[in-house]
Amino acid sequence: MAAAIETKQLTKSYRSRHAGIINVVDHLDLHVEEGEIFGFLGPNGAGKTTTIKMLLGIIYPDAGEGYVLGKEIGDMDVHRLISYLPERPYYYEHMTGPEILKFYGSLFGINDTAKFQALLEKVNLHRDVTKTIAQYSKGMQQRIGLAQSLINDPKLLFLDEPTGGLDPIAHREIRDLILSFRDEGRTVFISSHELSEVELICDRVAIINKGIIERQGTLVELLKGGRIEITVDGVSEQFLRDLKQTDANVRTLPIGLLFDVTEEADANAIIDAVRNAKGTIKSVVPRRKRLEDLFVETVTSKPKQPATSGAV
Amino acid sequence: MFRPIFSIAGTTIGEAIRRKVLLVILLIGAFLLILAPSLGILSARSETTVLKGMMLGVIQLTSAVIAIVLTVYMIPNEIERRTIYTILSKPVQRWQFLVGKYLGAVGALGLMMALMGLLMVLMFRFEMGMTSVSDLSDLLKAPLMYFVQMSILASVAVAFSTFVTPLVNFFLSGSIYLIGSLFNPFFETIQSSPNTPAVAKGFATLVNAILPNFANYNVQNPIINPGQEIHNEGSYYMMATVYGVFYILIALIVGILVFDRREV
Repeated sequence: MAAAIETKQLTKSYRSRHAGIINVVDHLDLHVEEGEIFGFLGPNGAGKTTTIKMLLGIIYPDAGEGYVLGKEIGDMDVHRLISYLPERPYYYEHMTGPEILKFYGSLFGINDTAKFQALLEKVNLHRDVTKTIAQYSKGMQQRIGLAQSLINDPKLLFLDEPTGGLDPIAHREIRDLILSFRDEGRTVFISSHELSEVELICDRVAIINKGIIERQGTLVELLKGGRIEITVDGVSEQFLRDLKQTDANVRTLPIGLLFDVTEEADANAIIDAVRNAKGTIKSVVPRRKRLEDLFVETVTSKPKQPATSGAV
Repeated sequence: MFRPIFSIAGTTIGEAIRRKVLLVILLIGAFLLILAPSLGILSARSETTVLKGMMLGVIQLTSAVIAIVLTVYMIPNEIERRTIYTILSKPVQRWQFLVGKYLGAVGALGLMMALMGLLMVLMFRFEMGMTSVSDLSDLLKAPLMYFVQMSILASVAVAFSTFVTPLVNFFLSGSIYLIGSLFNPFFETIQSSPNTPAVAKGFATLVNAILPNFANYNVQNPIINPGQEIHNEGSYYMMATVYGVFYILIALIVGILVFDRREV
């Protein structure tokens, strides 16, 4: 499949009065395929927005290469095929929804009232056409933002924290809209902190920390593994001593002992041993690895050194 | 190529005419214009002469404040509110954005100055009983030249707004306006005086060349005092306008060059 976004050693640095030159984005190798929803994750200040701005040609990289839809970043032709929804966007408050669409449409030379109406219907704002942006709720502002980002029928959308600060209903509406973009064949690049949201909708993710890509891959690959929790009762001290041979973590609970293992073979061994010791198995709960676990594990571990060549 | 410029300009006008601070300045200007006839009686000079001077002064001062306040926040606000990102991620070049913002500012300024000009004419027509169409239209010559003057000031402030903070820009643009309006004849005298040392002459020439000559547009004297006149009036206005357009182009090119490489 063709790459919608490809960066090679993309680097952006700033000069800080106290710390000298800081690489905000450090030798970034990113690969986003066409037609996928790609999650770009990282803590505050990790370099997410800087990366998006470089990909959009709003700021300029200091080193490395970047390609969006096969063309070098900053190429104005690409701007006809992409779209961007910034974090907490502001739109001219005196305008109504249709006026906003008309304004952004005019930047592409589009003046199609039927299209504007269809977009307002798509984001469920067609009943609020007389309201000005100042009268919009946060969720409505985010939806008009998505509508303006669809005006040029983009192949690739950059969404920066699209659900930030929204209530659960608005969350779901925005999530459904993003999923519909994939169904329409668009590529979506989402920068977000909402990990549960990302886990629900993204095909692949990258985790960036201090400007360096720490992980990149499909959710299936990255969340491989997980844990199994086994709660047992009625086993002896000797049993516990024997069990030291396995890698299980053991905690004492009011209802018995909780064994926490990562390997299926260890879980089977514990279950067999408990049965042999005439103990009771109260529960066996497989705990799937969550994106949040991976994220915390990644950003709290020692940062990687920047890759100097090849994929991460 | 021009469509995005006009769209951005139109939106800028729409936003500018709703900015409360500008409307308050405009209202103060309008209030002073309405109040002027009652203040005119305080002077021993001819009431019409005083009134013309006072009203043109109010229009010029109000317009200068509006021009500066309108433009110093223009680019920083767009960056702070992230509107610039949604616009620059579309097929819009930075120079188109800057020129669009400038034209929008000048458009809004023009509307506000036109309102004040109209109010002045109405005051003369109905308060002072001036009925001659020629006299009334003569009154508007000065505001028209002020408009060129304010357009230059706006271009300077827009150029500065690409790299300095609004507060610094306010004082910088304001100072340039004052120096360019009041001290231009002084620099010209230094330049032409045979007794001036070469260094001072060179400095005066440099300052005179760099700073816009705002004094060119202070054409109120012949309007206030009918005895005075500008020789070849039409040609003078034409040359002053051409100079203004040229200066605006230079200021905008400087602004574009800075803005083009600026990290936003």
